[in-house]
Amino acid sequence: MRRLTTLMCVATAATALSGPVAAASQDEMIELGRDVFHDKTRGNCISCHSIDDPVANLPGNQGPMMVAMKQRFPDKRKLRAQVWDATVANPLSIMPPIGKHWILSEEEIDAVVEYIYQY
Amino acid sequence: MKTIKTLLLGLGLTALAPLTQAAESGFTLETVDPEADRKALQEFYQNRFPGVPLEEYVNGIYAIDPPSREQWDALMEFPPYEFDLEEGQVLFETPFANGKSYADCFENGGIGIRQNYPYWNKEEGTVKTLEQEINECREQNGEKPLKWKKGAIAQISAYMAWTSRDNVIDIKIPEDDPRALQAYLDGKQFFYAKRGQLNLSCANCHLQGSRRLIRADLPGPMLGQPTHFPVYRSKWGEIGTLHRRYEGCHRDSRSVPLPPQSEEFRKLEYFQTYMSNGLVVNGPGARK
Amino acid sequence: MKKATMTLLAALVLAPALAQAETFQEVFNQQRALYGKGHEFTFEGKTYKTYHSEEVEAMAEPTKANAEALVASAEAKRQEAAAVGYEWRFTGRILKQAQDALAEERFQDAMNLAAQAKYQARKAVEQQAHVASTWHHAVPE
Repeated sequence: MRRLTTLMCVATAATALSGPVAAASQDEMIELGRDVFHDKTRGNCISCHSIDDPVANLPGNQGPMMVAMKQRFPDKRKLRAQVWDATVANPLSIMPPIGKHWILSEEEIDAVVEYIYQY
Repeated sequence: MKTIKTLLLGLGLTALAPLTQAAESGFTLETVDPEADRKALQEFYQNRFPGVPLEEYVNGIYAIDPPSREQWDALMEFPPYEFDLEEGQVLFETPFANGKSYADCFENGGIGIRQNYPYWNKEEGTVKTLEQEINECREQNGEKPLKWKKGAIAQISAYMAWTSRDNVIDIKIPEDDPRALQAYLDGKQFFYAKRGQLNLSCANCHLQGSRRLIRADLPGPMLGQPTHFPVYRSKWGEIGTLHRRYEGCHRDSRSVPLPPQSEEFRKLEYFQTYMSNGLVVNGPGARK
Repeated sequence: MKKATMTLLAALVLAPALAQAETFQEVFNQQRALYGKGHEFTFEGKTYKTYHSEEVEAMAEPTKANAEALVASAEAKRQEAAAVGYEWRFTGRILKQAQDALAEERFQDAMNLAAQAKYQARKAVEQQAHVASTWHHAVPE
């Protein structure tokens, strides 16, 4: 733990300049998010969550439908956190910890959140 | 933990006591109670799928999902494992080069014994599966062992299950050897423990997630799962063993999977089959 | 009087400890979950950024020596995960890609890939330990 802490301090100094990459346009983000959501080799979110998008094919129902996202998550960051690690809220959840286990990159998670937040 | 419990009891908060007890029982060698586990599991499914008789669980997802059942009934008019059964009988009855045969290796000539597998072998200090003993029989008689996952071993196992159909599963955990109970407990832990990059346990899909869609697939209930193996799986297009399926499930959690007949998988089979005690053997089966 | 003072002192000492029940790792994860990487946050008065320790390692100068060291430490971590029976399926593949990049002298690529593999292996080891003490919560009672 001490080692990690030290590293983090170093990181703070070393990377002050390398902020997030220039943000992609909103439309590009949503397009990427859609790909990630539906692609079996990427997020494959569709295997458990249905969504009202014409490209949706054989959605599963292990998890909740992607509806009323703004009402359910008035704070978009809380939705991001739920995607990143659903086991914080429910340790037994079947939902894989997408961010914590680096199943998707942070950029892909941002994109998926933008995509589903429209619904 | 024990201190907390004593304190709670001491404070007279008796209402909390059963809760504490429940959360503590069943996951150490001192507290594990296979019969209580089996009853709790049956109760779980009976609450989850009310009205489904227990004996129906040998049919897996087809016991609890009528639309899938309809398709399956149509498939079963000409069961896809029939060729394998015939082939299995031929293999079973064909003598080895030394003139002996499988019948010489097993109790009752190998007929009608599936319900006793897997079992705890005290001498070897390990769980023994039917497939393991099929290969040991071969080796004892100078034959090469078969590959674990499909082909001849699955066919022979299928025939042996067939001769045991409707026999009641009767897995024993001998009380005179605590290692047997430990093996059961290890298998239980394997079933409920999350693993792999996807952080999935067997229970995630086959307990909580049973009859909920993963794309177009409905995971079956764990109760009754081992009764119908080996299985002709349409996805495989052929017959395969229980450990072939274990390996596939384990891989699907994005783990580096264990090999078939590894100690962990044999313990898992021991636990899982014990959970199906009281149900009947109905292998081989056919699944989507 | 003396006793009362002691109680007061104890309360003062314990109060912050109780308020800070979360570990650094929990706070780090929460911040990374909310904001992604590179986000600044404070923990116990110090400032940090939400980079995994492996990502920080990959920020070192992309030299042959640094890349080799990171690939080697990632491989060691992978073996640690394998030894407890919890190796993840793609970690080996990512490491192979890191080794290929190293062979082609694409040092930054090698370091990024090795960092990802090493992070996964660390999480796999943690997963095994965590699960060993919590699996029973999933058992129906």
